[in-house]
Amino acid sequence: MGDSSTSYIHMVQHMIEKCLIFNMTKEECMEALSKHANIKPVITSTVWNELEKENKEFFEAYAQSQSKQDRMSEEETSRMIQKMISDSSSKDPDK
Amino acid sequence: MLAVSPLRNNTSKDDDEGEMESTFTISSDEFPDFADGNLLESIDFDDLFLSIDVDGDVLPDLEMDPEILAELPPAGEESEMNASGEKTEESDNQRKDEEENKVSTSKGDEESVSKREEPKAVKTGSKDGDKGRKSSIKGKSNNNNQGTRKLKVDWTPELHRRFVQAVEQLGVDKAVPSRILELMGIDCLTRHNIASHLQKYRSHRKHLLAREAEAASWIHRRQIYGGATPVGGGGKRDVNHWLPPTMGFPPSASPMHHQNHLFRPLHVWGHPTMDQSLMHLWPKHLAPPPPPPRPAWGPPPPADPSFWHHQHHRVPNGQTPGTPCFPPPLTAAPTRFGAVPVPGIPPHHAMYKADTGIGVPASQLRRHPLVDLHPSKESIDAAIGDVLSKPWLPLPIGLKPPSTDGVLVELQRQGVPKIPPSCA
Repeated sequence: MGDSSTSYIHMVQHMIEKCLIFNMTKEECMEALSKHANIKPVITSTVWNELEKENKEFFEAYAQSQSKQDRMSEEETSRMIQKMISDSSSKDPDK
Repeated sequence: MLAVSPLRNNTSKDDDEGEMESTFTISSDEFPDFADGNLLESIDFDDLFLSIDVDGDVLPDLEMDPEILAELPPAGEESEMNASGEKTEESDNQRKDEEENKVSTSKGDEESVSKREEPKAVKTGSKDGDKGRKSSIKGKSNNNNQGTRKLKVDWTPELHRRFVQAVEQLGVDKAVPSRILELMGIDCLTRHNIASHLQKYRSHRKHLLAREAEAASWIHRRQIYGGATPVGGGGKRDVNHWLPPTMGFPPSASPMHHQNHLFRPLHVWGHPTMDQSLMHLWPKHLAPPPPPPRPAWGPPPPADPSFWHHQHHRVPNGQTPGTPCFPPPLTAAPTRFGAVPVPGIPPHHAMYKADTGIGVPASQLRRHPLVDLHPSKESIDAAIGDVLSKPWLPLPIGLKPPSTDGVLVELQRQGVPKIPPSCA
C-alpha cells in the first residue's frame, strides 16, 4: 500500500517538476496535471505544497523569478507596442 | 505469367547454384506447355531432381520455388499440390519425397503435411528455413521474386540515412517517393515502402518542429526577461543550492552557437552522426529551459558537468542511478541552447527566421512570447506524457521528495482517502 502511494507521489512530483521547467504557477500546474494526466488538483496542490516545504529555497527563488517575468513582460509589452506604433507610422503613412 | 516466373527464377538461381542449370534450361526449351498454366503437371520432377546433390544443396533452390508458388493464386496452388502429391506417391525416390514435402509444406498446405508422416522434422526445418530465407530475400532481392510485392522492408540506420539524404536533396516537401527511390538507387525498395516511410518521417519532423518552436519561443522569452537569474543575489552563485528551474539543466556556458543550431536536429531524424544525443533528448525531456544569460553566471563551462553531478550528489534520494545516459545528453543539449543567453539581434533573427519557416509571421512572433507566457498545451502534454509513459526517468530537477506520510496525511485532511485514487 505504502509503496504504491509513494510511487504515485513520486510520479506527481515528476510531473510538477516538468511544469516547473516550464515556469508554470501552482495553479497552472494543477490544471495541466488534471487535464493531461487526470491527477486531481487537490493532489497536485498537496504534493506541490509538500515539495515546497522540503525545498524552500528552490521555491523561493522560483517565486522570485516568476515575479520578475511578470514585471518584465509588462515593460516589454509596452515597449513593443511603442515600437510597433512608430514602425507602422513610419512605414505606412496611409494606414 | 505463371509459367514464366519459376523459369525466370530458376534462371537467376542458376547463377547462384549452377547445378540445376542444364535441367532448367532444358525445361524451358522442352516444355512449352508451361504457357498453359499447368506448371507442375508439365514438369517432370524426376528430371529435375536427378542432379540433386545429396548434401541438400538443392534446398535453397527448392525454397525459392515455394516462394513463387506461394505467390500463385490459391486455385493454382491446389492443383499444384495435388500434382505434387500424386507425383510423390508415385516416385520411389525417398529424397524426392522429402523435396516434394518441402515444396508442398512451404506452400502451407496442411493436407500434404498430414499425408507425409516421415519427414516431419525435415518439413519443420524446411519451413523455418523458408521463413528465414523468405524474410531475408524479401529484404534484399525483391526484384527476383516477381519484384514489387508489399514485402517488409527493414529500415536500417544506413538505409534510413540514405533516405534522409535523398529527401533533403529533393526538399522535404517536394520529396516524391519515386524520385527518392531513384536517388537512393536501391533495388529492393518499392515506391510503396518509400512512401510509407516518408509519411512517418514527415510526421516525426512535424512533431520535432513543434517542440523546437516551443523551445525557441521559450528561449526567446528567457532572453527578453533576462532569464531567471538565480537565487536573489545575482553575483552570488551557490552551485550547491537548489536552483530555479532553469538550472535544472546545467548552464552550459560553452561557446555560443547560433540559435540556428536549434533547428539542425530537424534534419537528422535518426541520423547517426549529428546531434543524436539531442535527438534522443527531444522526445524524452521536452524543451530544456534555456540557461540564464552567460554574463550573469560567471562560472566557467568546465564547471558544468561537475555542477550537474553536484546536483545529483545533493539529492539524497538517489534517483540518479536510473538512467546512466541521462547526464551526458543533458550536458550536450543545453550546449545548443547555450547560444541563447547572448542578448542581441542575431539570435532573435535566427529564431524569427526559423519560426517564420514554421509559418508564424515574424511580427506575430515578436508579440507572441510577450502576450502569451504559457507553454503550449502540446509541450505540456508531451512532458506529462513522458512522465506517465516512462516513470523510470530521473526527475528533471531532482527536488527533495516530500515525505509520503506527510502528503497522505494532508490529503486525508482534504478529503482524499487514498492515492492513487480509484477515480480520477
